[in-house]
Amino acid sequence: MAATTATPAQAVANPAAPPRVVSRLNPANAVTASRYLTLPPLWWAIHHGYHQYATLFIILCAVLDKVDGLVARVFDCRSSFGELFDAITDGICYGFGLIVVAAYGWAPIAPVGFVIGLGLFNTALRFVYIKRAGRVVNYKSYAMERIVAYTGYLIGFATGGMEVQYFYWAFVPVMLVIVLHDAKRMLIDPVLGPVSGPASGPVPAMPAAGTTR
Amino acid sequence: MTLFSDQTFRILLSAITGVVAAGWTVHDIVLMVRLRGADRRDPLVADKWFGYTMGIVIGIIGVVGTLRFNGVL
Repeated sequence: MAATTATPAQAVANPAAPPRVVSRLNPANAVTASRYLTLPPLWWAIHHGYHQYATLFIILCAVLDKVDGLVARVFDCRSSFGELFDAITDGICYGFGLIVVAAYGWAPIAPVGFVIGLGLFNTALRFVYIKRAGRVVNYKSYAMERIVAYTGYLIGFATGGMEVQYFYWAFVPVMLVIVLHDAKRMLIDPVLGPVSGPASGPVPAMPAAGTTR
Repeated sequence: MTLFSDQTFRILLSAITGVVAAGWTVHDIVLMVRLRGADRRDPLVADKWFGYTMGIVIGIIGVVGTLRFNGVL
């Protein structure tokens, strides 16, 4: 896979300049991809009832999520593809973790189903947003960044047996509010940011959330 | 098969959750205070304001959950 993508920061800084290309095979995306390696041992630990090991593996997955952003900055290999890959990996890793803890009875099924349903809805909205934007772009939201971190914690609460009912049911209304807020932004509000293509003129800068990849 | 004693594991869970949640709450409160006076009609400012609000709510949920876990609430 040798495809490349332009860096979002450069496109915003100078839309007229040819975009610097970043290979999709870069250290940051490698760290992101390595998060998938934590999923089989997580499943193994849950299957055998090893609560502490399961907690360790989900913490490792969450830490790698933070490390990939750091690596992207250190190696200057941020790209739109990397941002999207990171978001998709969040969804797959945390979705997998939630399904497994619910399947083994470590977490209540109803809120897990609700959370996964909202997550899929949000993912579908992201693709609609990409279609509206006319380019591969990761929709960023400060609130969504925070709820994604909470999602990682949710799996840890289940594996650690920490106030599971409380944390899972408290999560549902918060995520519902955030998804509805972001749905309005992705479906109704104007798409901001650079638009690819020779016919497009200057446009307002894309709002950037805290961590960018 | 365990890595720690139950008591140590409980303390670690409380620290990882409680300390991060409390810090997160303070962090987002500070960021929100810095946003005072900014034009909330600006989409970026509005998104930040909403995100920090949700961050504070999530942080409070984390602190309360940690206190419940330790029998304080």
